[in-house]
Amino acid sequence: MTVQAIDRFSIDADEAASTVFDAVIIGSGVSGALIAKSLAAQGLKVLVVEAGSGNDITVSDYEENVFRFYGAASKDNNSAYYNAKNAPMPRDFETVRLRDGQINDHGYLVQKGPFEIDSTYTRVLGGTTRHWEGKALRMLPDDFRMHSLFGHGRDWPISYETLEPYYRQAEAELGVSGDVEDQLYGGLTFGEEGYVLPMHKMPASYLDQVLARDIDGMTVDVADQSFSLKVRTTPQARNGIPNKAYAGGKGFVPNGAVSVDQAEMGGRCQGNTNCVPICPVQAKYDARRTLMLAIATGNVKLLARSVASKVLVDSASGEITGIEVKTYQDPDQPGFTARVFRARTYVLAANAVENARLMLASGLPGQNDLMGRNLMDHGYLLTWALMPEPIGVMRGPVCTSGIEDLRTGNYRSNMAAVRFSIHNDGWGWATGGPYSDLYDAVDRQNLFGAELRQGLIDTVARQVLIDCMIEIPADPGNRVTVDSRYTDQLGNMRPVISFEIPQYTLETVAFSRGLTKQLYQRAGAQDHSSYDPMAPGWVTHNGEGYVVRGGNHWAGTHLMGESPKDSVVNDRQQSWEHANLYLAGAGSMPTIGTANTTLTLAAICLRTAEDIAARLVAPTAASALGA
Amino acid sequence: MSLYKIKTLDELKRHLNAAMQLEHATIPLYLTALYSIVPGTNREGFHIVRAVAVEEMLHLTLVCNLLNAVGGHPDLSAPGFTPNYPAYLPDGEEDFAAGLQRFSPDAIETFLKIERPASLKPHESNKRLRKRKGALLSAGHTDAAEEEHFFSIGEFYKAVEMGLDDLYAEMGDALFCGDPALQVGPEYYYSGGGGLLTVTDMTSAKKALDLIAEQGEGITGHIFDEDGEIAHYYRFQQLVLGRFYREGDLHNHPTGGEVEVDWNAVYPIKPNAKISDFPEGSEVRAAAESFNAIYAQYLALLTRAFNGEPNLLIDAVGDMFRLKELTYQLMRQPIGDGSEFNAAPTFEINLA
Repeated sequence: MTVQAIDRFSIDADEAASTVFDAVIIGSGVSGALIAKSLAAQGLKVLVVEAGSGNDITVSDYEENVFRFYGAASKDNNSAYYNAKNAPMPRDFETVRLRDGQINDHGYLVQKGPFEIDSTYTRVLGGTTRHWEGKALRMLPDDFRMHSLFGHGRDWPISYETLEPYYRQAEAELGVSGDVEDQLYGGLTFGEEGYVLPMHKMPASYLDQVLARDIDGMTVDVADQSFSLKVRTTPQARNGIPNKAYAGGKGFVPNGAVSVDQAEMGGRCQGNTNCVPICPVQAKYDARRTLMLAIATGNVKLLARSVASKVLVDSASGEITGIEVKTYQDPDQPGFTARVFRARTYVLAANAVENARLMLASGLPGQNDLMGRNLMDHGYLLTWALMPEPIGVMRGPVCTSGIEDLRTGNYRSNMAAVRFSIHNDGWGWATGGPYSDLYDAVDRQNLFGAELRQGLIDTVARQVLIDCMIEIPADPGNRVTVDSRYTDQLGNMRPVISFEIPQYTLETVAFSRGLTKQLYQRAGAQDHSSYDPMAPGWVTHNGEGYVVRGGNHWAGTHLMGESPKDSVVNDRQQSWEHANLYLAGAGSMPTIGTANTTLTLAAICLRTAEDIAARLVAPTAASALGA
Repeated sequence: MSLYKIKTLDELKRHLNAAMQLEHATIPLYLTALYSIVPGTNREGFHIVRAVAVEEMLHLTLVCNLLNAVGGHPDLSAPGFTPNYPAYLPDGEEDFAAGLQRFSPDAIETFLKIERPASLKPHESNKRLRKRKGALLSAGHTDAAEEEHFFSIGEFYKAVEMGLDDLYAEMGDALFCGDPALQVGPEYYYSGGGGLLTVTDMTSAKKALDLIAEQGEGITGHIFDEDGEIAHYYRFQQLVLGRFYREGDLHNHPTGGEVEVDWNAVYPIKPNAKISDFPEGSEVRAAAESFNAIYAQYLALLTRAFNGEPNLLIDAVGDMFRLKELTYQLMRQPIGDGSEFNAAPTFEINLA
């Protein structure tokens, strides 16, 4: 009899419903996978519930996604993945410019504005790490004390120092390439003496080197401080050359491609430049790697095509008594079976938006009404220019270097923090290039043959894009809600997003535009940045218009704090109101500074896993109900 | 088993040179089949062939490390190092000649012969080996005066190992007189299975040989090795049997996921193409000549990498992409001589 690859570790839904697990984890993304792996290593029995198909564990499955991406007309960050009607995903092109009071419910996300945000997430095995770029920056110590230091946003209940050992663990789990020497800024420390990252840095691209020549040493005066800029390599969860000095000389063995059949080992980064959404050689980390290691213990079962629909609570104790899950057979056809899954501990790891959506749809806004509030993301201002010479665009990972020197400073009392990434993939993010460059050359410039080729070389090969990643602090008015008027095919209420960019962030948008103009001047580049008033994300500041894009770094909807009065979870991501419930992931982060959220959420989830295991590895273990 | 015994250090070096040639000689065979697959089709097949090709590159590097360890000098640009296909393998297997051909049942049959385990030896096979022919590989090969024939690559390496044992008993650690700085370390290679290791003494030398044997034919007759990695012979067998092996499976009875093969989704390339097959002045001829020139440069670069400049292996990756691109250019293009064939790289490199 043929055994489907997935059959080897999936569990029959009825069997799962008649089992009491040690933990049920909703979501197979990086948070859920890390917690599953940690718990499984302690011998605990875990059920992972995934909304997507889950059928993505052979090299053939993977390449179906690669080729879907190659064939997609729109190369958006979910274009590699099948968008099932029963577990739909937000797509950035669904975002439209909203008029006052207008609501956009055409996509999966319902956008109420006033700011329309084009951020997405990915509902497949491995979650949004399936489309992430792989930047693995740490947050700065100051980011954990935003309110105390700068009077904006919030403080974390834990310090950078508390989290530091977990950052190192996360760097091992994700397999981070980078050089620590390039990360010594903004108060960052790396624990023990002589710590190195698991793999050597991704080499700086030629573009990085050209820009560094003109930018290094440039000084910027902001507020009462002077900053000297330097182009630094960016740490990233992408396989490169292992560092022999890692772990006191033990070295590091990279984790390669996910494949239950032995067909492919996975490559090191070879510079295909389509990290987002999918690396053709599986050099980029995605959470399936962690999940497969978890499953290999024999203690983790996967239930795919299953969307959590309701969290059930015992009203007397506040304890969670089960999670109702709708399992579908066909990705698109209506119809499902609802079952309740039970465990000693429940972990919601479905990302900041979906965690809040599920809790709110279950009628659990919290006594302080904070569930879903303080939704955060990074605001991205994109700037782009033509360098005087070809600089080797479209080689290397999307970004290999950035400018980090302004990630913190006294100016944060008045305006938001910012970091800058230098893009090796040309103007793609801003203009849809190089495809749009081709249309332009053919349709508008009437080029063909050798002239067309040369024309593209003259433009595309000189493209530089610098993104400005800007902090948006927690604000209770930015939120996820649900509304029974907006449901999906399974009858689950969809997330409704209300978002506004604060003045604090807009100040930095304007500042960053000014600074990038200077950067391009120094590099002798022609600035081509322009912002369309009809585009979603249009904002104005002091009479100037900009377009701010989302960063897909959803965070803050169930943020952690020191007190049940003003937070949803404690510093271990345990719900204040439901002792056997953990809400895991970026939703717990009180600030996100200027770091992509994944490394930090991985660190807090590793810490959470310790806490859960400590509670569960006790006299009683999971047992079948009938046993 | 061959009766040949390695008795001197020079003989050992000659055998290791032959081993380099042997490992390298398989790579054009595998790459030709690999790139003849129309991109996006035969996904399992593509990766099965690719995984083996990559491991042959690992084996080549391990042999270079062995040769360096005993004071030899790897030279991949020597005349005759790259065979003129079709060719008998440099270990003296003579019951079949290996040719450059498209991904096809014939190709897989040849690959299975190349990787066949010693334990599958038919009774009479080594008695019926034909005599060496003049057209066979010669550069750095075993002494022409003494006929050597091995039924399988495994037997060949067994002879190398026994020679190593004998010489070590005689010379002790003096056998490993090579400069350790010439060794290429694990940072230059990784895979799901065993990685690259440096050779500086008897223990590491044995490990290197074991790895080659286990990844190749699975010398112990097991489908999977200790690290859970599947041997080349069984990898290829999956293409014939249409299913992946799982741990615990019996020989010839894989029970894993399906391996779908579409022999038609393959470029119709000319087998064992030669430059002279391509019309003079044609673009395919220019591309094929360019391929050979770049491949020759690439082998020269590898030679430097294996003689003290391992960093050049990183540069060599760029060359590998250029070679891949040229291969696809050739294979997508009809030769234009009225035949049904497309072009293909000829690998006529530094012919002896």
